[in-house]
Order: sequence, then structure tokens, then C-alpha cells
Amino acid sequence: MKRFLSLVLALALVAAMGIFSTAFAADDGFVDGKFTETRHIKVEIFNRNNDGGSDPTNNPFTDYIKQGMLEKYNVEVEYVSVGRWSEVDDINNLLATGEAPDICVTYSYPTIQTFADMGGIIDLNPWLEEYKDQLGDMWALLEDYNIYYDQDPETKTVWAVEAVLADRARLNTFIRKDWLDKLGLALPTTEEEFHDCLVAFRDNAETLLGADADKMVPYSTSTDIGWRNDLLSISKVAEDIDDATLYVYGYDDRHMLYPGYKEGIRVLNQWYNEGLVWKDFGLYTDSTAEDDMMKAGYVGAFMHNWDYPFRNNDDSIEANLVRNVGPDAAFVAVDCFKNDAGITRKFLADRVDRKVFFPATNKEPLASLLYVNFISNPDTIKFLQTGKEGVNHELTENGAYKTLAATGDWIMNSGMNIDYTITVNGLYIGEATESSRALNYSSVPAEIVVGAHEASIANGRTAKKYSVGDIVAETDVGTSLTAKRDAMLTQAVSASVDQFDAVFDAGMDDYLASGGQAIIDERAEKLLAVYGEAPAAK
Amino acid sequence: MSDVKQASLNRNIRSQKMPWKVYMRRYWTLYLLLILPLAFFLVFRYTPMSYILLAFKKNNILLPPWQVPWAKNNGFEWFIKAFQDRNFIAALRNTIFLNLLDLLIGTPMPIIMALILNELAFPKYKRVTQTVLYLPHFLSWVIISSISLRLFATNDGMINKLMGTSIPFLGTENNWRAMYIVLGIWKECGWNTIIYLAALTGISPELYEAAEVDGASRLQKIWHITLPGIRSTIIVLLIMNLGHILGSEFDRPFTLSNPLVVGASKTISIFVYERGIQGSQFSLSTAVGLFQSVVCVIFLLLSNSLAKKFGERGIW
Repeated sequence: MKRFLSLVLALALVAAMGIFSTAFAADDGFVDGKFTETRHIKVEIFNRNNDGGSDPTNNPFTDYIKQGMLEKYNVEVEYVSVGRWSEVDDINNLLATGEAPDICVTYSYPTIQTFADMGGIIDLNPWLEEYKDQLGDMWALLEDYNIYYDQDPETKTVWAVEAVLADRARLNTFIRKDWLDKLGLALPTTEEEFHDCLVAFRDNAETLLGADADKMVPYSTSTDIGWRNDLLSISKVAEDIDDATLYVYGYDDRHMLYPGYKEGIRVLNQWYNEGLVWKDFGLYTDSTAEDDMMKAGYVGAFMHNWDYPFRNNDDSIEANLVRNVGPDAAFVAVDCFKNDAGITRKFLADRVDRKVFFPATNKEPLASLLYVNFISNPDTIKFLQTGKEGVNHELTENGAYKTLAATGDWIMNSGMNIDYTITVNGLYIGEATESSRALNYSSVPAEIVVGAHEASIANGRTAKKYSVGDIVAETDVGTSLTAKRDAMLTQAVSASVDQFDAVFDAGMDDYLASGGQAIIDERAEKLLAVYGEAPAAK
Repeated sequence: MSDVKQASLNRNIRSQKMPWKVYMRRYWTLYLLLILPLAFFLVFRYTPMSYILLAFKKNNILLPPWQVPWAKNNGFEWFIKAFQDRNFIAALRNTIFLNLLDLLIGTPMPIIMALILNELAFPKYKRVTQTVLYLPHFLSWVIISSISLRLFATNDGMINKLMGTSIPFLGTENNWRAMYIVLGIWKECGWNTIIYLAALTGISPELYEAAEVDGASRLQKIWHITLPGIRSTIIVLLIMNLGHILGSEFDRPFTLSNPLVVGASKTISIFVYERGIQGSQFSLSTAVGLFQSVVCVIFLLLSNSLAKKFGERGIW
């Protein structure tokens, strides 16, 4: 019995050690740009469970990649699906059980850092150095900036490479143009005019909605207050804010810690108390109810992703509006929230997006890197983003790709197949990009799309990137701080006007005490140590 | 051999110092039958429990816990960290408060319901009522939370629309707590009556007949016969509920919650989910889970001994 027990323990030990055995060693089986024997890799793919969508692990697009990888590198590719809306939970579980795919993708860098600290992630640095010559397409797309974006300045480790955010447009403010026309109002160009429009919607509910007047929602939002009202909030941030301040107070991707942010939320709180904001937004934690209101034509204005009402072809908000309300009904983008310098300033995202990493259980780091290279090839990207001619698109006279509503297996589960193009997010098809973007939404006229895109990037500013190494305080508080932020902003917006300061300040104190302040302090300390800079704001 | 004799033989088998080998030769088949259930518990219950060690080790889920170095403060780093964490304290407070409310309000409800059902005169009507009362038990909390949202939303909810009001049933912390308890009772009350109704059938009808002869009213019969008849069942269930005072369901508070009421709805189970599953802090969440279990066991032991002190049988 003792013997048996010691054998079991020894086996367990060997198995456990196996997890950490992928130290760098050049691959002898890779000759003249191809493996001599067929290799096999597993790749993570998001599953969005779209109605009528195709199997994300097996469709014409995955066939294209599988065939290409086998022919070019002699590598077999297998896809492992992970829930899009539970990706952090799923990846955490797969990593914890040693069952993660060889190539993983996540938006959450803290997840990667936590597992890297446990020894569960491959350091890509030696592999990148050794095989740079074989990774030409990846290098051309990502450049040193994205490849070494997360490199530790001291240890030089690279736990992940960052995909390129090809289209940096973030948000837009949308308003019902047909309602403005009906009420004889012009498109708003300032916050005051926007407010006046909302008041007009509220006061003319019967004119605009008839028997459904009680369903009027002049302005709708969600519990993700930070994202859904960003353009209003950041218009309260001073134009001359310095880069060091943007970095030190820039942990929260909704900009909540930026000086001045509170005043934007105060305006929203006033609107809420004037009956201009959807009263029940705080109770709904998913977007279905709000989307339904927009599609039914009850919502006057909202802020969201720059192309939100145009997405999903025939099921887009715009297409539903036309069906439900009439041919004139449409949301158009307006750009009206100006800062202290009178500029509609927007903080654009850096050119980084998802993070691609290899767990330590990956026994084929080179084959996996070659997959990343293959997926970064311009021809691969073009095929994945535009699909098959006559099915997913048709070419116009000037060479632009006009999107068609595909059917069956050719349906793309994600817009422009971003789930497969893991190294790029946003249309990236060379010269045809700009002309094709406008034609990328089959249910919306091109000029409306162009106007929306221009509005969303007008006066954009990108915060400067500082490489100060791992911020320890950020590692394990991400999800709890996000939940706290959404809760405190939702509560502050829904508070009575005289309670606003108390609710906002108490929420902010709680956020800071729960880890927010530690992050600010560590960022400030490391910024000073590495760059000798300090934020102007305190 | 009569049953009595066999039983007495069985009792005395080991005490007669029967040699081990003889005993096993005679009864090995019984032990063989035990192997599967024992293996089940060993593999699926006790082996995973070795990972409790994580609570005292550095945060590393990839190595077996016995290979991971001990955490700081003699292994108690995560317990100290949890008790210094304001979010854990809030979750602990919410868990206790919601469970106490459940215990105080939720426990008597099925008893009252069982008594009412017991008094129904028409058997068919009684059966239909019972079935209807059981139904909500089979709905998941996900479904109940969306139904409750449609019914109780502040402005768009059906109840507020019908009454022409804007009561934030789910939008303030106190209202939310009340709704949490009410919905819990609505879902489980009918189901929980089953055990009491079963206990009620064990009461001898002769007692009721005798009471009737003595001229006892309906209420008197309930008070002096029915309730004392199911007293031990009530005590056992109370003990088991007390054992869960720090335990917390996940789906009920998680699905019913919304950002407006997180101050009341974040319980320990949600804390563990956020930190453990979402935040990869496996050691911290294991420590919290272990703390929760230890307190539950203490409560269970305490309430059991209290029950015995008051002359009841307890659960062991």
C-alpha cells in the first residue's frame, strides 16, 4: 500500500512539474520555414451563441485557416470555444485546471499577470528573439510597439503580445434626427442645446409617440455609466491636463479617476432628476431591455460604441427603427460636448487591444507563434474580414467592399470576424479600408456611417504610454473595482440632486479604500522612479 | 432465527472478540458493497478537500498545494487579509443579516402553511393547492429575477403601472431586502411544507378525537395537539437552518442584485466568486470558504446541544 501511495505521489509530482517544463529551447523539427512532422495546436475562439450563427470551431473561415496552416507550416489547428461574455471566468478556470488552449486571448491583462506570477505563462521574449525572421507578417502588423507593449523594463519578460486596434474610434452620441425635424429643432452642437433637445422630447412625448407617450425615454443609459456617458464626463476634464496625470489617474478605463470627472456625472444626475434619463436603467444588468426600447422607437438619444445602432445588418437598431416607426426614423451622431477650451476632446484608446498569450502547458510555442504570424498576414486578414465575394461582400466600382447579409455557415459570428483576427481589431484591408468602412453596414446609408466615424474620432487625444513595469496593486482587484465603479456611478446618477455629493463622495472613498488609492500611489511612485515625472493634479 | 435473536447476535459479534479474520471471512461481502460509496467519497469529497491547504499557502493554483510555500504570518496571511478587507466585512454582515431575516420570517411560514393545508376539508382542493404551492420551487432564480424585474421595476414594472406609483421595490437597500425575503418565501414555502405535512400524518387521530370529545376548538387542537406533534421536526429543521447562518446561496442574491443595492446584496458567496473565479485569488477565497464552513459547524454544534438541553432529540 505504501509503495502504491508513493508511486501515486511521485506520478502527481511529475505531472505537476510537467506544467512548468516549457523553458525555451530551439525547435529542431523546424526546417526551412516548415515543420518536418505535423504539429498540433489548440486555439481559443470566442463563442457568442448568436441566433442562427455558425459553429465557431468549424466553418468556412476556420477551414481556410486550418488549410493554410497545414500547407504553410505543417501545423494542425483545433479550435476550443470559450464564452465571449464569460471569457475571464472561463480562461481562469482553464488555466487553473491546466487545460487552457495553446493560444489564449483575453482583454484582461491582470488575469495574465496573476497566472504569470504563478509560473503558468510562457515568457515569449526568447522565442521572439530567436524566431523574429520567421514572424515577418506579425512584426509588420504589430510592430515593436505592440509586441513589447507589456515587456517588463527590468526582467524583459513578455507574457503577452497586444493586438492592434486598427480603428481607434470609441463612442458617439446618437440622437433621433426625425424627432428633431418633427419639433423643428437643429442638431445640437453644445451641451446646452443637447439638454434642450432632451427637454423638448420629454415635453412633446404625445406628439412624438402618441398613445405610447408614457414610454418616452429622452435619454437612455445603462449601469455601465462610465462607458455610456464618457463623452459628457470627459468634457469636464481640463484641456491642459498633463500626461503624467493621465497616467497616474488612468487605471480605470472609463476615466473615472480623471480630475473633473465628477462634474460630468453631476450633469447626468440633474438630467435624471429632471425626468430626462431612463428611470429604470439601474435595475437592468444586460442590454436587452434598452435595445428593445431603442428598436421600438421610444428612445430619443444615447451614447454608445461609435457604430452601435448600425451593427447586425437586418437586426440593427436602425433597421428595426425603420421597420417599427417609418422610413425617416434614424439615429444620427452628433458631437456636442465641449471642454473648457471649447473643444469636443475625446480620449482615444491606445493602439492596443486584446492580449495574445501562451499558457505554460503549451508544448508548441513555435507552432503557436507561427499561427499568430499566419493570422497577421494581410491576405488572411482580408479574407477573414471580408469573406467570400457574392456571399459576404460585393466589390464596388471604386474597389470598396460592400457588405452583404450572408446566410448559413458563411455568417460571421463577430463583425469582421474579429474573433479570428486575434491580432487586429477593426477593418484592416489596406487602401480599401476607408472606402469600405462606410459600406460595412448593410442596413445604413454610407453617409450616416461616415459622419458617425468622423464625429467619434474628431479631436482625439491618446494618453502617453509609460512603461514602468508591473503595478502590483492592480493585479487582484480588477473585477471588484469595476463592479464598485459601476455601482457607485449608478447610485450617484440616481440620487436626488441634494444627495448627489454625499453619494458620489462616499462611493469614491469606498473605491479608493478598496484598492483604488493603492494603485494611484504605486503608479505615481513608479512614474517618478522611472521617468522622474509627477502629476500636476493631486 | 427470529429477528430479535439475529439483532442481538449482530450486536455481540464484535464484542465476543471474534478473530478479525473469521469476522471478515463471514461478512466480507458487506464490506465489498461499501467500497463503491467509500471510493466515491474518497475521490470526489475528501481528496479535493486537500486543497483546503490553499488557504494557508501562497496563491498558486498550478502546483499541488503541498508544494506551494506557506503564506505569510504563519500561513494566516489570507485570513488576516480577509478581515482587513472592508468588502469582506460588508459581505459577512450582509450574509448574516439576510440569513437571520430568512430564519426569522422564512422558517414559520411553511409551518403556518402546513397547518392551513392540514385544516382543509376537501382532499381534492387540498391536493391541487399543494401542487400549485410546490411549483415555484422548480423555477430557477434566473427566471424569478427576470419575472420580478418585469413586475417590480420602479417605472416600467407591472405593479407600479397598475397602482400608478413609482415605488422602488428593487431600487433601495431596505426594499430590496424585503423583496429578497418575500421572493424566497414565495419560491420555497410550498416545497418546505412537505416535511411538515409528512410529520403531521404521524400524529395519532385518536388525540384529535379525544380532544373533540372534550370540546376543544379548532385552534385549541392546533395549539395543543398539532404543534406539539411536529415540534421535534421543527427543532431539527431549525438546527439545520442555524447551521447555514453563515452559508450563503449564490444564485439568489446574485441574480436578484443590481448596482443600486450592492450595499445590501453582496454576500460571501458573491465575494468568493468575484475574488476567486474572476480575480484568480484562489487562496483568499479558499480561506474565506474555510472560515465560513468552520463557523457553520460551530453553529450547528451549538444549536444541537442547545436543543438537547431543552429536552429535544437533536440531529445526532
